[in-house]
Amino acid sequence: MNHKPDEALLIAYLYGELQGDEKTAVEQYLREHPDVYQRLQEMNFVRESLQRIADKEVIAPPIVLEENRSVTFWNTGYMRMITGIAASLALLMLVARFTGLTIQAGNGTMTIGFASSFTVPDTKQKAAAALTSEEVQQMINQSMAQNNALLQVNWQDSQQQLDASIRNNLAEFSDARMRSLTKQVSNASEEQIRAFAMTLQAENARMIKDYLALNANDQRAYMEELLVDFARYLEQQHRSDLQMLQARLTNLEEENDEFRYETGQILASIINTVEPISTDIKN
Amino acid sequence: MHAESFPGQAMMHTDALVERAREGDKQAQGRLVQLWYKRIYNYGYKFFFDHDAATEVAQKTFIAMCRYIGTLQDAGRFKSWLYTIAVNTCREELRRQSGRQSVSLDSMMMNLPDDSPRWEGSDHRYDNPERRFQQQELADLLQACLKELSAEQREVVIMKEYEGFKFREIAEALNVSENTVKSRLYYGLDALKKILAKRNITQETISYES
Repeated sequence: MNHKPDEALLIAYLYGELQGDEKTAVEQYLREHPDVYQRLQEMNFVRESLQRIADKEVIAPPIVLEENRSVTFWNTGYMRMITGIAASLALLMLVARFTGLTIQAGNGTMTIGFASSFTVPDTKQKAAAALTSEEVQQMINQSMAQNNALLQVNWQDSQQQLDASIRNNLAEFSDARMRSLTKQVSNASEEQIRAFAMTLQAENARMIKDYLALNANDQRAYMEELLVDFARYLEQQHRSDLQMLQARLTNLEEENDEFRYETGQILASIINTVEPISTDIKN
Repeated sequence: MHAESFPGQAMMHTDALVERAREGDKQAQGRLVQLWYKRIYNYGYKFFFDHDAATEVAQKTFIAMCRYIGTLQDAGRFKSWLYTIAVNTCREELRRQSGRQSVSLDSMMMNLPDDSPRWEGSDHRYDNPERRFQQQELADLLQACLKELSAEQREVVIMKEYEGFKFREIAEALNVSENTVKSRLYYGLDALKKILAKRNITQETISYES
């Protein structure tokens, strides 16, 4: 084969869809070109591999279709949308009619209300009648100046009254009056100091007396307690000594009884030993 | 499994059913759905490797079929016509998916490491569970390889390998020339060969599995 077969021809050969001269020509070309033959073999392997993918088993679900309806002009989407908007507007107007809804627009404002009619205050005229900022500033300055003047006058009056009062007071306090007052104060102080010192002495004496009395009571109680404790201690000691003596006496008694018992046994055994001998001797 | 094994009697009746369905016979339309649902579902499944997408495609295809079958001129071209709808539905679904950027469970399963076990499907019955598992695993692996092809190559490969189409029928369904179909198939198989080699699927592997 002189010319190289294209992909379409090769794939048709691969799927066995070539016949006659075309098939012979491709076979001839493949014999002469083992690399192309090898590629076709590999593609055949790919085809064999693909056969490993099995079909999935499925059950067809019921498919329900709505009946075909003739679509009229009034039933088209656009018309339905326009009709819907118109109906909404009509409903809105009807509701507005019954509720007395009023919408007014004008002079740069829009008002919505339920009153039959109402007036909108003309804010523009008010704005025109309003003062400028400079005038307002001037008025504020004027007011501040008046206020300051008033405060100044009030302050001066107060100051004058205060000065006059101080002056009067100072005039009333003469030297003689001052001296008599000082003497009175010093006399009064001497008597008070004496009374205070006497009171202190009396209080001290009473406190020392109380302290001594309390101290004597405490010491007496302490001594009594000490004596009682000592007596208890002696009694306890005496009791324990007696118990110890009793125990020793009991021990001695027991030992004595044991000794007597052992002696008795020894004597009995001696008698038992001696008696047959004496009998033998008598015989 | 392929169109060759498709019930012959039903195929014989397809033309008659199409004629009746074109005249608006709902029963005939329903019968056509029953006959072709499995094929269209499997076309969608092999295209997307995803059950949900395949179901979506199949349902949309048959809804369109029932709605527009009256416009079909030649009953003999029903198969090509039906697959044209299926192909367009798949392309539309693909656009939707690429816009949505969703990840299907199947694709997640395929992204698992090679040594991790995969759950097998529940539709095949083999005597030996281990053999069944291996075959299912191989099928899933091959399916994943198929999905790596471009959409145009995948369409042609599926139609030729699984749907038993002739080159002329594929050209009709895709509305392209026969040479274009053959060229796409050639390069599709060539690309698959490389993908299989990349995944170490060789003749030895396939022989061992079988």
